[in-house]
Amino acid sequence: MRSDVGAGQEAAPPLVALERITKSFPGVLANDAVSLDVRAGEVHALIGENGAGKSTLMRVLYGMYPADAGRILVRGREVHIGSPRDAIALGIGMVHQHFVLVDPFTVTENVILGDEGGAILDLDRARERVAALAERYGFAVRPDAVVEDLSVGEEQRVEILKALFRGVDILILDEPTAVLTPGETTELFGNLRQLRADGKAIVFISHKLDEVLEIADRITVLRRGRVVGETTPERTSKAELAEMMVGRPVLFRLERPKVEPGPPVLRVDDLADGQALRGVSLEVRAGEIVGVAGVEGNGQRELAETIVGLRAPVRGSIRLGDAEIGGERVRDIRNAGVAYIPEDRHGQGLVLDMTLWENAVLGRQDDPPFAGRFGTLVIRAMRQLAERLVRTFDIRARGIGVAARTLSGGNQQKLILARELDTDPKLLVASQPTRGLDVGAIEFVWRRLLERKAAGRAVLLISAELDEIYALSDRILTLYEGRITGEYPPDAPPEEVGIGMLGGRRAAEAEP
Amino acid sequence: MSGPRGTKLVARREPAPWVESLVGQLLALLASLLIALVAGALIVIAYGESPLVVYGAILRFSFGSRTGVGYVLAIATPLIFSALAVALCFKGGMFNIGVEGQYLVAMVTATWAALELDVLPGGLHVAVVLAFAMLGGMAWAAVPAILKVRTGAHEVVTTIMMNGIAISLLSWALNGPLRFTNAPEGQNVDLRSDPFPPTALVGDLGKLFGVSRGAHLSWLLLLGIALAVAVWFLIRRMRLGYEARAVGQAPGSARAGGISIGAVQIKLFLISGALAGLTGMQQILADRGYLPQNYVSQLGFTGIAVAFLGQNHPIGIVFAAILWAILARGESALQLETDVPREFVIILQGILIMTVVIVYQVTHRRLRRRELGRAAIGEQDAAEPAPVGAVG
Repeated sequence: MRSDVGAGQEAAPPLVALERITKSFPGVLANDAVSLDVRAGEVHALIGENGAGKSTLMRVLYGMYPADAGRILVRGREVHIGSPRDAIALGIGMVHQHFVLVDPFTVTENVILGDEGGAILDLDRARERVAALAERYGFAVRPDAVVEDLSVGEEQRVEILKALFRGVDILILDEPTAVLTPGETTELFGNLRQLRADGKAIVFISHKLDEVLEIADRITVLRRGRVVGETTPERTSKAELAEMMVGRPVLFRLERPKVEPGPPVLRVDDLADGQALRGVSLEVRAGEIVGVAGVEGNGQRELAETIVGLRAPVRGSIRLGDAEIGGERVRDIRNAGVAYIPEDRHGQGLVLDMTLWENAVLGRQDDPPFAGRFGTLVIRAMRQLAERLVRTFDIRARGIGVAARTLSGGNQQKLILARELDTDPKLLVASQPTRGLDVGAIEFVWRRLLERKAAGRAVLLISAELDEIYALSDRILTLYEGRITGEYPPDAPPEEVGIGMLGGRRAAEAEP
Repeated sequence: MSGPRGTKLVARREPAPWVESLVGQLLALLASLLIALVAGALIVIAYGESPLVVYGAILRFSFGSRTGVGYVLAIATPLIFSALAVALCFKGGMFNIGVEGQYLVAMVTATWAALELDVLPGGLHVAVVLAFAMLGGMAWAAVPAILKVRTGAHEVVTTIMMNGIAISLLSWALNGPLRFTNAPEGQNVDLRSDPFPPTALVGDLGKLFGVSRGAHLSWLLLLGIALAVAVWFLIRRMRLGYEARAVGQAPGSARAGGISIGAVQIKLFLISGALAGLTGMQQILADRGYLPQNYVSQLGFTGIAVAFLGQNHPIGIVFAAILWAILARGESALQLETDVPREFVIILQGILIMTVVIVYQVTHRRLRRRELGRAAIGEQDAAEPAPVGAVG
C-alpha cells in the first residue's frame, strides 16, 4: 500500500488507460475517440453536461457496452472487458446513480450478494470482513443494519463497500453526490480521501463544479462526446470549467431585477398537515421570490404539497390573494393561479412514457383549446402547444413525439417549467427546481424564476441548495422541524442562515 | 421525423418513434409465434407424430373452408370483449380479474331482458338485451371499483371474490326466477332458461359470406371490432383515456396535474364492466338461444391471456383473439385427425404466452436503449447557439 500519496505520481503507470474510445448508438456518436487515464491514488473527475458521454464512457469501461473502436489498458496491459463481471475481475468497480440493494437484507448480506463464496454461507466471517473494510476506510455503517432503515448516504456507502469487498482498486462513481445532503457529501469526500490515500483510483463523474474542485486531483471535461480539456483544480476555476462544459460563458450570479413588491399573493398562516408541518406562517408578495432554506426532511416537501393541494392541512389557512385555498382540490388550486415545480419530477411532474405533447398539457386537458367536444382531446392544439413550448424554452428533443423519458434531466425540467409557466400563474411553488441539473440548465431555470419576479408574479422557492437560495431570493426563510425558524435579508451572512436551518432561533422566537 | 430538428450526426432519416415501435411489435409477435411453434413441434415429435401433420390439421380446420373461418371468428368474438375489458382497466393501472364474474352476471340480466321484455320489436329488443348485459357487467364491476376508491381494497382480491358470488348468483337464477317453465312433457332436460324469443337473438352474419349456420358467426363480431376501435379512440383521443394513462403510468404526476385518480378509476372500471358484460352474449344470443346451466365459463380468464397477447392494444387484441381461436379450434382438429391429445393446444397456448413475455421484454429493452442513446446526443446537438436570455 502506498502511503506517500502524491510523491512520484507522475512516474507511476496509469492503472487504467482508455485510448481513443469510440462508441456510437444508432445514429448517434456518444464517444468520439475519447482518451482518459486514471492513476493509482488519484481522484479523476469526469465532468460534462448531461448527454456529454460521461456515463457511456464509463459503461464501456465497466463492460456494459462494447466500444466500437479504441483500446482499454489496465495496469499497462490491453484487456477486453465484455461484462461487468470481467470488469470486477480486473479490479474495476462502479457505483451507479441508482442503487441496487435488497431492502430487507442487512448491509453484510447486500455486500456479499453475488460473491458469497462456497455453497455454505459463512455470515459471521463475512460480517467481520465487512466491518474491517468499513473501519479501514472510515465508513460509518453497521454491518448488521437492515438496508431499508438506512439513509441515502449510508446506502451509498454500502454500494461502495460492495465494490471494495470484491477487491477493486479502480472505483467509478456516477454522480455520487446527486442524491446526498451537504453533510453526507462531506462524509463521502472523507471516505474518498481515505481510499485515495490507500492507492485506489477513483473516477468521479459529476457536474457539480464546486465539488469537483474540492475533491479532484485531475479533471477531464467532455462535451458532445469529445474531450475538450484536461486540467487540475489548481490551474482552473469554476467559471472556466463551466465554460468548457457548456461551450459558452456561464454566469453564477445573475442580475436580479429590482421590483417593488406588491400586495401579498400567498399568505400561509399556522399551517400544519398533522405530520411534518407544525405551524408554518409565511407570506409571498407579488414581484417577490421568497426562498425557504433548510436541511431536507424538515417539511419542505410537505409545505409545497400542502400549498398546491396534494396534501390536506389539518390546521391553519392558505390564502391566495383573498381566497382561501387550503384543502381545495388540486384542480381548483391550479385554476386559481398556482403552478408547481415538484422536487420529484418523475413522480409528480411528468408521465415518462407519454410523449412531449401529451405531457405538455398535463393539468390543462379539461380546458380549451385542448378539450374538444364529447370528452375528446384536440390533438392539434396539444401539438401546437408542445411545439411552442419546445421552441420558447429551448427543450432539446428529437421531436415532440418522443417519450418524455428520453429527455435529459435538464430538458425534462424545462418541459415542466414551460408547462407550468405557460398559464402565467400568480404563484409559482418551485421545489428543488435545479436538483440534478447541470450548470447550463441551472442558469436557465434561475433566469426563468427571475423573470417571474420581474413580471410581478410571486415565487415560493424551496431549496436545499443555499447557493440557489442566495442567488434568487428577496427574503430568506429557514424551515426547521416543520416551523419557520427565521427570516433573513438576502445579504445576511450564510452562517446566520445556517443557524436558522438548524433551528437555532427557535428558542428566541418562542412559540405562542 | 416529426420534430423540427434533425441532428448533424444522423446521416439517414430516422423513422418516427411510433413506426419503429409498431414494426418492432409486429416483428416481436411473429418471432414469439415462430418460437412457440418450434417448441410445439418438438413436443409433437416427442409424441411420435409429425408436426407438419398436426399444424396442417389445425390450419386446415381453421382456413380450409369458409365455415372453418366462421368457426374461428365465432370463437374469437367473446374473447375480444373480455380482453378489451381487461386491457382498458390495465391502462389505468388496474387489474380487472373480475371479467369472469361480470359476464356471468351480465348473462343473467340479459336473459331476464330477453325473456321479459319480449314486447319490444326485433331490432330494439336485441339492443335492449345487449344494454342489459352491459348494465349487469357494470353493476358487478361497480362494487370492486367503489371499494377500491373508497377503502383502498385491492381490486384483484375483491374481483376474485365477486367472481365466486357471480357463479352462485347465476345458479340461483337458473333454479329460481329464470328456470324454464315449459319443459317438454316427460323429457328430462338439463336445467336452463326458456328459449329466447327470436327478437332477442343476434342475427347471423355467416350467411353473407357462405358460412354454415352451424358456426354461429354473428353480428357480435362486428360489434367487437367496432368496440376495439372505440376503445382505441377512448384511450388515445379522449380525455378519460389520457387521464387513465397518466394515472396508470404515473399516479403522482396525474394527481399533481389535478386529475382525480378515484374518479378516473371508477369510470374505467365501469366501462370495463360494460365491455365484460358482452362476453357471454355470443353463447346465449347466437350459439344457444337460451341460458344453459352448462354455459361456457373461463372466458374472462382467457381474456387476460388474450389481452396480454395483444399487448393491451385494442387492435392487437382483435388479432390475438383470432390467433387464440385458431388454436382453440385446433383442438377438434387434433381429436379428429391425429393421435395427439387435445391438451396439446393448451400447452401451445401456454408456450405462446411465455415466448411473448420473453420476446417483448427483450425488444422493449432494446428499443428503449436505442431511444435513450440517440436522445442523449440528439438533444445536445440539436440547438446551436446558447439561447439563454434570448427569450422572455
